[in-house]
Amino acid sequence: MTFLAFLFILISLVTFVAAQLILKRAMEFSATNGMRNSYFMSRVAIGVVLMTVSFFLTLGLLQRFDLSYLYPFQGLSVIFITILAAVVLKEKLSARLTIGSLLITAGIVLVSMS
Amino acid sequence: MQNRPSGFGNPWLQLGLSVVCVFASELLLKRGATEVAAPDDAFSWTGINGLASPLVWWAIVLVIASFISWLYVLRYIPLSFAYPLSRVVDILVPLGCLIFLGELISTLRWCGIALVIIGLALVAKPIAKMEERL
Repeated sequence: MTFLAFLFILISLVTFVAAQLILKRAMEFSATNGMRNSYFMSRVAIGVVLMTVSFFLTLGLLQRFDLSYLYPFQGLSVIFITILAAVVLKEKLSARLTIGSLLITAGIVLVSMS
Repeated sequence: MQNRPSGFGNPWLQLGLSVVCVFASELLLKRGATEVAAPDDAFSWTGINGLASPLVWWAIVLVIASFISWLYVLRYIPLSFAYPLSRVVDILVPLGCLIFLGELISTLRWCGIALVIIGLALVAKPIAKMEERL
């Protein structure tokens, strides 16, 4: 695994999580304010662009690595959400979240060595 | 969770369909990427050359289908319930790699995959609850 590959894996995951959260916000906004407004449209556009970036980076990575190698890295998205929740929601880390995140990290380290 | 539609509109059926679509799209993307793989060409890091493969287009159709059925599921089943169930795909994908893609998965990699799956199973519910509030 080169540094470049790891960087692209990280970018594709961060853009995917960001897109999910932005689209979710847009859907929630549309439930009360409708879809015919620039706020909703611009959020959906940003979400779709981020999803597209994530998709193509994955397609580039899949040309170089096994799916069984790349797929477990998706577990990192859970860790991004945990960090984001800690920062934005001031959420405290439960024992369950900590142990789960450590297991995922350890698993990804093993996969990346394989 | 009242007034749940039956038949094709049954949210549990749609949840299953969504998982199957994600699973199939991952395998098709890998097959498609392998078909057009040009690892020596720096441009192929962008993945855009992947569009030359029809399998990649099928995968895109399935990704969109899974997304639509997932949004539908969330109208009837709360995220903190649907999300942990949908993680079954994390078990299906490595098995699919073994059975359908013929990937050679070493013991070390299986151990890593197992740890990730156990970790995801542990955090799925709290993560979904956080995501609902983010």
